[in-house]
Amino acid sequence: MERILRINKLSKRFGKILAVDQLELEVTAGQVFGILGPNGSGKTTTLGMILDVIAPTNGNFRWFEQDNTVEARKSIGAILETPCFYPYLTAVQNLRVSAHIKKCGTENIENVLKQVSLFDRKDDKFKTYSLGMKQRLSIAAALLSNPPVLILDEPTNGLDPEGIAEVRDLIKEIAASGKTIIMASHLLDEVQKVCTHFCVLRKGKKLHEGNVSETLGEINKIEVAANDIVKLESVIKNFPGTSSYSKNGNSLLVIMKDGANATDLNDYCFGQGITLKTLFTHRNSLEQEFLKILRAHD
Amino acid sequence: MIRVLKLEWLKIRNYRVFWILTIMYLLALIVIASGGMFFLEWLKSEGADFQGINPTIIPIYDFPDIWQNTTYLATFVKVLLAFIVIISVNNDVTYNTLRQNIIDGISKKEYIFSKLSFIITMAAISILFLFVLGFINGSIYSHVWGMDYIFDEMEFLAVFFYEVIIYCTLAFLLSLIIKKAGFVIVALFLYTLMFEPIATTIMINAPALADGIAPEIAQFFPIKSLNNLISVPFGRYVFMEIEDNVSIKALTIATGWFVFYLSSIFYILNKRDLN
Repeated sequence: MERILRINKLSKRFGKILAVDQLELEVTAGQVFGILGPNGSGKTTTLGMILDVIAPTNGNFRWFEQDNTVEARKSIGAILETPCFYPYLTAVQNLRVSAHIKKCGTENIENVLKQVSLFDRKDDKFKTYSLGMKQRLSIAAALLSNPPVLILDEPTNGLDPEGIAEVRDLIKEIAASGKTIIMASHLLDEVQKVCTHFCVLRKGKKLHEGNVSETLGEINKIEVAANDIVKLESVIKNFPGTSSYSKNGNSLLVIMKDGANATDLNDYCFGQGITLKTLFTHRNSLEQEFLKILRAHD
Repeated sequence: MIRVLKLEWLKIRNYRVFWILTIMYLLALIVIASGGMFFLEWLKSEGADFQGINPTIIPIYDFPDIWQNTTYLATFVKVLLAFIVIISVNNDVTYNTLRQNIIDGISKKEYIFSKLSFIITMAAISILFLFVLGFINGSIYSHVWGMDYIFDEMEFLAVFFYEVIIYCTLAFLLSLIIKKAGFVIVALFLYTLMFEPIATTIMINAPALADGIAPEIAQFFPIKSLNNLISVPFGRYVFMEIEDNVSIKALTIATGWFVFYLSSIFYILNKRDLN
């Protein structure tokens, strides 16, 4: 795989506080890489360093296997913490400044504003925007040059539930188009929903790095229910894929053997004359894993 | 140069304070460059006379003296240009758009060049404006005429250009160090027009100090060295000896300060974390 970013023993010290401690990371093309961690764990500092706005105390990083970081930044769309624009300029005028720096032409401005649903307000001054709108404008700025790499620092910060859903869909859409995304978040649910890979930071140290679907494991718990719960129980007992089961109110919680899946179970029940009214698959959540990782390092 | 200059233009062209200050500056130049004759008329109506001479025949608008006269007066309003620089740098610092610019893909060096190109452009527009004003006033009032006279002593325009650039670079540096625009503006204004002139005047003229090295040290002060570039020209109208050349010494000291300001800007921006 083509290597997008390599971080090598990167450290940052603010006075007495070691914000980032000998961080090593590698991101390859097409990954949606989540940087997880509690508040103050060094996520934003790390992103700030790889964007050249914070000077590293030690260590280095390379974008696209090249040394010219200024040119590299033009192929990166980034939002970093709070949105920063000229309050006395409109959305379009602000994006013109970004487009001029990125040398990407202004023809894409209307498109990106439509993408983040700000088109109606494009000629209003930035200072009249709500926090959510400001956040969406910074996403628009990041998308402006159609960059192969996006860096998103808490992208759903300050958005309402509808806005959060929109931004998540947008991120998935962008990831599906083959772009590489590096995202920092303290919202585990968010990382679980959109990321393919993740690492966990705490106090500037990397505690864990892995693949999201591997870490969460296969789907192995299925909750089922039917009108005739007694008959269902005997059917489940005989199903070859059942490893064990337990009663859970009006439904059964089935732990599956490796290799067995929900489709097989549904087919089997139907063959035995049972129509399921509930079939619900349980995954481990990243939250459980995250807490496990933090506990393991206590 | 054009590219970084356009960046500044995109940032500032819709900023109202910029236009207000620019118009104030240009109006001030017009008043200063063209008001001399009205001032002399007023002196006459007040009954002033210079050893029996009617004030209105004092040749302040004669070529080539006009260039030193107008540029000397114009240095008093250069502080308005410095205010524009302070506001433009301060916007980038307080709105954190400097960080956004860098994330978008310029280097800190390019950022500095964009501000410098903006300063140079303002300085260039200033001398162009002064040249046009001087030429018009000279055409109306000058007692002498001819290419030799008109284009003589043009070095005062060049020196004014240089002085504005150095002074605005100082403003750039100050607004990076002190992040409150209002404070920088007041501090720079008071320092330029009051604190340092008073301090250097005392150092040069106080009887207790005048025999020591104090008068010499005063020449090295940042504003004094700029003021020395174009000396007070009006003594010539009362038959005094005046400095009507650009002093090489003052030029050297001012250049030293310019180098100091620029290297400090580079140093500060390179070290600073923009978060």
